[in-house]
Order: sequence, then structure tokens, then C-alpha cells
Amino acid sequence: MFLALREQAVFLLYRQAFLGTIHAMKKVRPPILVTWLICLLTAVFTMDSARSATADGVEYFEKHIRPLLAKHCYSCHSSRTGKREGGLVLDTRAGWTVGGDSGPAIMPENVDASLLIQAVRYKDPARQMPPDRALPQKAIALLEHWVQMGAPDPRDKPMEDITPNTDPSDPIAGREHWAFQLLSQETLPAVKTIDSPKSAIDTFILLQLEKANLQPAADADRRTLVRRAYLQLTGLPPTPQQLTAFLEDDGPDAFEKLVDQLLDSPRFGERWGRHWLDLARYADSNGLDENFLFREAWRYRNWVIDAVNADVPFDRFLLEQIAGDLLPHDSIEQRDRQRIAAGFLVMGPKVLLGNDPKERRMDVADEQLDTIGRAVLGQTLGCARCHNHKFDPVPTADYYALAGIFTSTQVMQRRYMLGQQRGMERLVGLGADGDKSNDAYEKYWRERPKLTEKQKHAKSALELLEKGDTAAFDEFVAKHKDAVAEAAADTKQPTEQRVAAQKTLVAELDAAVAKPPAIPPRAMIPSDEDKPADESIRLAGQFNRLGKQVPRGFLSVVSDAAVEIPEGQSGRLELARWLTDLDTGAGRLTARVLANRVWHHLIGRGIVRTVDNFGRTGEAPSHPELLDHLAAAVIDSGWSMKSLVRKIVLTRTFAMSSLHDEASHAVDPENRLLWRAHRRRLTPEALRDSMLLAAGTLDVTPLDSTVSYLGDQATAVGENKNRRRTDFPCRSVYLPVIRNDLPELFDVFDFADPHAATGMRPQTMVATQGLFMLNDAQVMNAAQATARRVLDNESGVAPTAKIDRLFELVLNEIPTTEERDELLRFISETRKSLNDDDNADADTQVWSMVCHALFASSRFQIVE
Amino acid sequence: MRCGQFIPTATRRDMLRASAGGFGQLALAAMAGQRATADTLQAYGPSLPLPHIPARAKRVIFLFMWGGPSHVDIFDPKPALNAESGKPLSGKSIGIDRDQLGTALGSPFKFAQYGDSGVWMSELFPHLSQQADRMCVVRSMHTEGSAHGEALLRLHTGQANLVRPSVGAWVSYGLGCESDSLPGFITISPPRGHGGVQNYGNAFLPALHQGTAIGSAETPIAQAAVSNLVNKKLTPDLQRKQLSLIQSLNKRHLRNTVEDRQIEGLIANYELAFRMQSTMPQVMSLADESKSTLDLYGIDSEPTDNFGRQCLLARKFAESGVRYIQVSTNYTWDHHQKVQSGHITESAKVDRPIAGLLEDLARRGMLEDTLVVWGAEFGRTPMVENGDGRNHHPQGFTMWLAGGGARGGLTYGSTDDFGYAPVENPVHMHDLHATMLYALGLDHEQLTYRHAGRDFRLTDVYGNIVHDILT
Repeated sequence: MFLALREQAVFLLYRQAFLGTIHAMKKVRPPILVTWLICLLTAVFTMDSARSATADGVEYFEKHIRPLLAKHCYSCHSSRTGKREGGLVLDTRAGWTVGGDSGPAIMPENVDASLLIQAVRYKDPARQMPPDRALPQKAIALLEHWVQMGAPDPRDKPMEDITPNTDPSDPIAGREHWAFQLLSQETLPAVKTIDSPKSAIDTFILLQLEKANLQPAADADRRTLVRRAYLQLTGLPPTPQQLTAFLEDDGPDAFEKLVDQLLDSPRFGERWGRHWLDLARYADSNGLDENFLFREAWRYRNWVIDAVNADVPFDRFLLEQIAGDLLPHDSIEQRDRQRIAAGFLVMGPKVLLGNDPKERRMDVADEQLDTIGRAVLGQTLGCARCHNHKFDPVPTADYYALAGIFTSTQVMQRRYMLGQQRGMERLVGLGADGDKSNDAYEKYWRERPKLTEKQKHAKSALELLEKGDTAAFDEFVAKHKDAVAEAAADTKQPTEQRVAAQKTLVAELDAAVAKPPAIPPRAMIPSDEDKPADESIRLAGQFNRLGKQVPRGFLSVVSDAAVEIPEGQSGRLELARWLTDLDTGAGRLTARVLANRVWHHLIGRGIVRTVDNFGRTGEAPSHPELLDHLAAAVIDSGWSMKSLVRKIVLTRTFAMSSLHDEASHAVDPENRLLWRAHRRRLTPEALRDSMLLAAGTLDVTPLDSTVSYLGDQATAVGENKNRRRTDFPCRSVYLPVIRNDLPELFDVFDFADPHAATGMRPQTMVATQGLFMLNDAQVMNAAQATARRVLDNESGVAPTAKIDRLFELVLNEIPTTEERDELLRFISETRKSLNDDDNADADTQVWSMVCHALFASSRFQIVE
Repeated sequence: MRCGQFIPTATRRDMLRASAGGFGQLALAAMAGQRATADTLQAYGPSLPLPHIPARAKRVIFLFMWGGPSHVDIFDPKPALNAESGKPLSGKSIGIDRDQLGTALGSPFKFAQYGDSGVWMSELFPHLSQQADRMCVVRSMHTEGSAHGEALLRLHTGQANLVRPSVGAWVSYGLGCESDSLPGFITISPPRGHGGVQNYGNAFLPALHQGTAIGSAETPIAQAAVSNLVNKKLTPDLQRKQLSLIQSLNKRHLRNTVEDRQIEGLIANYELAFRMQSTMPQVMSLADESKSTLDLYGIDSEPTDNFGRQCLLARKFAESGVRYIQVSTNYTWDHHQKVQSGHITESAKVDRPIAGLLEDLARRGMLEDTLVVWGAEFGRTPMVENGDGRNHHPQGFTMWLAGGGARGGLTYGSTDDFGYAPVENPVHMHDLHATMLYALGLDHEQLTYRHAGRDFRLTDVYGNIVHDILT
């Protein structure tokens, strides 16, 4: 029944997508291919009729020009070698006639108008060729003369190899790539394996295993399964009580009940929200050159956690992050939530000082585009900034069509900070009075220099008044009237009263300087520019070299459908909708990328292992039908991430044992076909949280800001000794994420670099990890607290029972006899060597060492 | 066998068994087990046979003068600037498209030529000037970034708007390391600001190529330590016992799983960490150094003690097989005011230690295969700022090289009459990076890493090797 429904849904989807394409074809702009050919033919035709090369001209070309071009130009502009910098080739006549991104390179007989001549003359800093060094004057003169002659050129060969058909960036041809195809609607094949699969997912996995003559591993034992489920869904292992509760439930739906309970737990969002925060390059500071604090970023972090817990549909989740500031709202609370979500766009690192504002604008747009490209579409769009994408169907025109949306969006503003006006992340006040309190706060800092000046003057006036230096005082009042109290200036008043009045003013000013208004609650937020506009292609990616303007739009490999952006808007709303639109948008691709990410997190490797790269340089899916099945499922469920997680966790595939099998290993050493479960390292967050949980010191209360005590400088540099703290007893997801100053644990254990979207964290084994586990004070403190817990709670119990208790607390396991004996031996031998009179202290130390050893063991750090 | 270029053995365990190859190999082996991505093999180092070209140097010591020393006060004498001091400096007169550059500020320091080769230097570096014939002074450096942060990132990673591996990380990746218990890239007293760890980060390169920091610029080196190198609760004996327990647990786990690269990696890792715990303090201890060596570096006397210790440490790490060692001053060269007194103070701290380092390396026969590079994120303006200071100046400045591969006694390139911009043989920061790699036997166009769908390199799409400054 369930399967039948699904098939139907896939079919509907297929039909919808198909009709969408037809629909789109009706209103296409002329396909790029056709436009291109027309240009090409026209150009070549015109040239041929206009000029036939004389024998003299050809001789001149062969003698002087061909060697020159070959020596200085072909290395970057040759159809033979395939190098076409700026789209220009110079080894055929057609090459310079059509020209590159800036148009025809040579205008025969018109020396000054020929771009090639302008470039070799080296006068225009934005157009200088060859790039490394100017040609000798003589060579330039030869070229000029040749153009003056009408640029005779016998090289008639057609430009086969730059026809768009072989151009990897051609969006039409690019539609053949698997990631852009319609979702497959394979009927679920039958599998031979007697052991019946639990779900369609299992069937897809079994099918491939059978093809390779492989057997799936047996089910993992229940202790392993429950530890795996807890860690994958919540980032925390089960407590001994939770473990027991599950082990004692022998109902057939015990695991299903557990999974639902974990999905409902607030801990789920703390684990799975963090997966998205990796992609959103979430951080509490700017990073890069000037590491200013993002004081308000935590609101976005908590919004993500809440949204994941609430299972906000993924299409809505994206919409609010890309255009939350533009969405309608029913209440201030809703408005603020959406504003906070839109902080996603503001979160990127930016070069803040010294660079050209126009350059920064393009850099910021690039960062946003690249983040969305990778995180949502699995595409390396950033590659098309300087040239057509070398591997994927993304022409530069598409890049700048998207860039126009982001350059029509402002994420920075001038604010007063650290004593001066700076370009900073854009903020907006929250709450009903948000705008007012924000304005008041900014005004105070804007005017503070004047205030301190006034304070200084008021004090001087007071001194003069007290001294009774009337002449000087009067002169002072004339100059600085605003710094003298009215009554103090009133010569009719008795002196005491005048002094008192001025004292009051000084006290007021002192108070105002000493106590700036409290920082109001604010959110990082983008806004549409006053005059949103299309962007020009930047030649070779250089911000100051403008090519032709392109209308704002999306990726043409996905659809040719015309993009309608209302006048006066950036197009962010349309982009956000396009990303999940199944009709003329990238919905299918987005669903594939999302489904693959969920699989990656739960199973350990993606179906496409290059989770952020679904392009031609990425890997192809190991189970394409399964990927499409999951993508369809996520769409089907109304973009519910929780239901996809649930679906995958309740399979036999998820529940398989991780045991090695020599025969399978020989056939598939990387376990791509999933003949067993992947073993996985704990993330640094899970590593720390698990230790604190065992120690009984973890406080699971969600936190707001953990950086509020920091100044505007997020790192302790120079005079500033104030550094981020990591000693909060909270879950790791709430610890400060200061770019370039991560908590050491994060740094050492491969946390995602918060400068860029990260779908798959690196997995490294370096000595610093060993050093950390052996020597870090927090690890040892947690070990000691865990040991104390066991010693205190189990006092009077035999050491063997204590060891069992410790094993269960740390590893969720019962030790084997061998292990128990080894630990007992260690305890008694070490205890003897300590020679300590104080029994309690020595016991604690020995048991702490044992617990520390368990934390450091592979059993604790690697999940079966 | 150098760790950058070995051939993957059949199984990880074979390799661990045959683990005579050292730190890099072990860590790489462990890591390769972890990285089951399409680019698994990259974890072993570049796929091309290395070195690409004959190597002139085996390692680099980079002496970083944080803040930006003034080239016209140290290496690039400008009589015309002195003559015009106090007068407005016109851009047009030196081919710059600006009418007014500011007011010229002549140098108060006396210049002279030193050594057989006649390298010009000011009186600020009396000890270093004795090493003139070993130095290749490049007077035509230029870069981008007029603020420290951007310029530091460009100096250290080639780029500022994106996170890219540091030069040292590329070198470690390209050459691997020679030691079995030390990392390939060490940075002594690195800056925390202006990009901070990003300046010695590995970015997308495998993590073992990340620079290992010893202290930070703000901390005197004598108090600096490598994080988590010492256990503050357990005696070495107790820790050894505990480690045996951990490894026994791990090995049992490995036996039960039959084959698991991660567990194997973890086991190797603890041995390595434990070895580092004993090796690192040994290398870092100056106890075995003779009085004359300490004197050479100006250790135990002021104001040279701190930087002297840093330079001597650099030599010791170089001796122990570390490939790239950076030594940084504190953020003390940024003289927007009082450039004269500021430069006198700061040069006095580093002059003797740097000269001592060159001399010591030469005496030990190490200078010929150690490339020493001196420089900063930018130079300083020939124009005055705040009455007696100079501003940031990336348009033209001086750096120098010595030792392995560098043509000693050569003065290369020149700036205009006022020291504003290069006029002869300009050397961009990318060119310097390309040249440094070339001296190490690495072709900057071939030393690439596949990441996010394309091949990255230190010099992006730029960089010309400056063959003229190499031997």
C-alpha cells in the first residue's frame, strides 16, 4: 500500500516536471546555441565578403604576425590547446573576428578601435596583454601595421572545437548530466534475499549487493543499535536508565517508539540543526582580516535549532533564510523570527578594511552565491565568476544573472564601532520598539565623541568657576556655551549655586559617558537595495572590468523559463521559491541534494559521497534509484526532514552490524554497496557532550548568547585580553564559534571551518587529537567527575560491579571478563604504586585514570 | 623514503607495521584510512613525483616583521627623498596617476654599502650588515592590501577574501617531513590578530599540514608552550601505564573488528602523541646550547633575548627535520608615529638574532639547504604621517632571502627615486611564493589540490618564478 502510493507520487512528479519543461519551452528566449551560431555565421560571412587576403598581406602575416601570436598569445588563447581565456582564441581568423567576452578583438583597418591593439599598448590598466609584461615596442608596431592593412589572415579553419556542443558550460547540453535529470520512477525490483527487507530503501541496497554477490551484515545487537540511534539523532548516548528502558521493552515496535521519541526530543534539533549550521557557515564573528564580533548571530543559531525541532518544511526553511525580511507577517514575533532567519545571508565572512567597496560588493555576492550553490544545489557556482565553468553547465552569464540578485541586496551598513564609522554587518532592532531603540543606540555612539568633548569642557568650566577666575570663565562661556549650565552662567546667582549647577551638569555628563545605553536586541538582516539592478559580467572576474549586462535570473541548465522580478525588488523571493520549485525551478536537484545529506549523516557516507558537489567533478551516485526514491519521498512528505530521517532510521540498512567480513571486504573494500554499517568517529560536539553526560555535569538547557561578555573584537589581540570562554556546561552546539579562534576541541577534532559551507567535515587523524585526549584538563575533569559518581553511588559495591557501572555509563556496554580483569589489574597495580595514605584521594585518582582511559579508547570515540 | 611520495601499500596495517617512515607517513596513513572520498589518494600528498625540479633548499625559515618595517629606512636608500623631505611629493613626477601623494619624509638613517657585493643597508642593522654577501635583497616587492589583515593573509596564504592554505602548509604538503615525531610546519609566536590562525592554517589541505603554534606573538617565547603537550595531573610513569591500558583496550577493539582503519589510526596516533611529548620539549630546550651560541643570538641579554630565543628555536626545528618554520615579531613595526625612534627600538631587538641565525646556520653547513626569508605584509610610505611617522605601503617595499637557492650579495629590482613603486623587475607576492616553492623543488603550477570541484594552488592563476634571484 505504502509503496503503491509512493510510485504514484513519483509518477505525478515526473509528469509535472515533464509538463513543466514543455511549458517552459514555449516562452524561452532563443536557445543560447542558436544565438551563438547566428553570431558566428554572420561574423565570418561579413569578414569574407569584406576582405580577401592579398598575397602580400599573407606574406606579412606569416612573416611577422603568426610568430608573434604563437609566441605571446597562444598559451592562453588557442583553440588547439583548448585555452580560451576571456573566451578569445587567436589561432584562427574566426577566433579574433568573433572575439571573446568583450567582443571582436580586431577591427580590420581600425587600429585604435581594435581591442587587441588597445591591450598590447598597455595604456589601460584594466586591459593589458600579455598579462605578465608588455610586448616590445617593435612588436606592437608590427601588429598595428597589420591591423591597418586590414588584418589579412589566411587561417580559415572553422572553430569546431569551440562550438558550444563541446563546451562543458553549455547549459542545454548540461541537462544530460544525471543531477539535472527527472527523478527516475523505477518500479521496485524484486530481490532474492530470503531475509525480507524492511522497506523500499533496503530493497534498493539489497539489489546492488546481490548484483555483486554480497551478503548484508546481520542486524547489530540492540545495545549497539540504541547507542547508534541516540548518537545519530540527538548527539548524545543513552543514559543507563534510557538504555535499560529500551532493552526491557520487547514489543515489536520498541525501536519505532524510541525513534519517534528521539525525533520529538529537543535534543534532535541541537544535533540536526548543527548539520545545517555547518552549511550556513554559522559563526559568532566575522573572521578574515578584522575579526569583529557578530553579537547577534546566536539568534540565528537558535532559530535553526527551533526550526529543525519544529520540522519546518525545507522549502519554507529556505524561503525564510533567503528572503525572510521580505515576507508578510501576522505579528511582531513572526516578523522578528523571519528577520532572524534572513541572517543567513549576512553570516558570511567579509574583508572589512582597506579593499575597494566595489570589489567588496562582488566578493560578498560571490560568497552568498557560492554558499547557496553548494549548500542547496550541490553546485560549485563560484567557478563561473571569472570564466565559463570549466566542467559544469554554468556559463558566466548565469553567474552574473544570480549575482545581480545579491548585489541588489545589502548586507552591510555603516555603523560606529571602536571609535570610528565602519562598514559592518547590517542590523535591525527587534521587538515592537526595535527600530526606535536601535536608532537611539546608534545615535548615542555616533554622538559620543561630541559628548566626551562636552564633558571635558564642562569640567574645565567648573574649575574656572571654583577658582573664581571670572574673566577666564566668561571667555570660556563665550566659546563653549553648551558645556556650561544655564544657572552657572547666570552671574546674578550666588557663586555657590552656580558651582552647584555646573556640578550637576558635570555629574550628568559623567553618568552619560560612563553608562552608554544597553545594547538593544537586534538581528543580522539583509535588505533590498533602493534601486535593485541587473549586473554586468565582470571580465576575468575582475570587479572593475565590465562586460555586457545580464538580466537577473537563475541557472539556465535547470530551465529556460523567463524570470519575472517585480520592479524595485532584488529577486531574492523569486530565487528562494525557484530553489524548491518542482515545475520550472531547481526543486528536484534541491531534493536530491537534501536527501543525500540526510543519508550521509545517518549512514556515514552519501549515496553521492561528494555531498557538496553534484557536478561533473563530483562522484556519481552509488545507488541512483535509491537517491531518487529518497528525493521523491522528501518532496512527497511536503519537504519534511524529520519524516525522511525516520524513514531511513527504520530500515534494516541503518540497523546493520558494522562487523568486518573478509570476503565482502575483498570485493568492496570501501563499503560503497553497504554490506555492513560504517563505523564513525564522534563529532567533537558529541565527544564533549558524551563525556559531560557521563560525568553528570551536562546542563541541557538551551542557551542564548555565549559571547555577550566579549567586546567588539572577537579575538584577544594586543591590548584586548578578553577571549571566548568554553567552560559553559551547556551542549556544545551553544559554545562560541569565533572564526579563527574555535574552541580547541572543535579545532582539533575537525569541526566545520565556519568560513565556508561544509557538508562533509574533514576526517583526520593527527597527533594533536591524541595529545588532546591524553592531556586536556576538561577531559580529565570529566573523567574525575565520572569516577566520583561511580565511587560515591556504588560505595560498598565490589570493584567488579563498579567497573560494570563505569562501562555502562561511558560505553553503554557490559565488559567482557577479559576486560574486567584487565581493568581490575590496572587498578590494583596503580593503586599500589601510588603509595598514598589518603585512601579516598588515591581511589579517586586511580578510577579517574581508568575512566580517562575509557574516554580515550576507540570504543568511546568510534561508534559501531 | 620521503613521506610525500610513497606508494600506498596494500593495507594500512602493512604500512603501520613498516612504519619506519616517520610522522608524516604515519599520520598520512592513518588519515588515508579515514578519507574515503573520491580524492583519497590526495591524502598521501601530491600525485606527481616530487620534487618537480631539482631542489635548492630543503626547508624554509621565514622571519616575519609584523606591522611593516620601512624599506626606505633600512634597505632602499633614496637621496632624492631626503632632498625633497618636507616638500609635497607629486605622483606625476614618478609616473603615478595622482597629483599629490603627500609630503615627503626623508630617512634620518645613514646608509652604506656592505660586504664584497656592496649591498646597501642603513645603520639600523649593524650585525646583519656583516652578513650582506649572504643576502639577496629584493627591492621591488609589491602586493595588495593596505590594511594589515588583508595584507597578512595575502603574505601568508596568497589570498584574503577566501580561506586558503598557508605557504607553510603547501610546503609541508609538497615535501612531507623528515622527522618521525615533529610536524612539518611550525610557527613560533604567531599573530593572533589579522587573520590569526588562518595565516598558518591548512584550509582544505589535510590537517597534518596545519602549522603547529608555539605560543603567540603576545607571549614571551620563554613562557610559550605547545597546547596539551604536558599532562598536569599524571607523572610520566603513570601516564605511560595509562597509555598501555588505552592501547590494550584499543587493540582488543581492533581484534574484534578484524580490520578497521580508524582504530588503527587511533592507535598509531597515541604512540605518535606520546613520542611528541618527549621530543618537543627536548628540541625546545636550549639547555644544551653553548654559551657562544647563545651569545651569537643575543640570548640572555636585552633587548635581543626574546627574538634570539625564537631564532635559535627555528634553527633547532630546522635541524630536527621541520620543513617550514616561521618566526614572528610582536605587532611592533607599525610606526604611524615616531618612525625613527620606533625603528631604532625594533631593529635592535632583531638585528643580532637574525645575523646570529644566518651565521649559525652557515657554521653548521645548514645555510646551503635552508632558505631564509625576511619580510613583512608591506612596507611604509615615503610620505610622512602624523608629523613623524609613515603609513602602510603595499605598492613597493623590500624583502630579502638568504641561504638555500638565494643568490647572495645580489640586490634585485628597484623602486623609483622616492621608493614609492617598483620600476625595475617588479616582484609580486605571488612571484615570491612561486620562487620560494621553486627553490624547494616544487613547481607552483603543479603543486595543486583538488577541492570543491577544482584544482587549487598557492599562486591561484598568478605567479612568475624570479629565476634571477636564485642560484
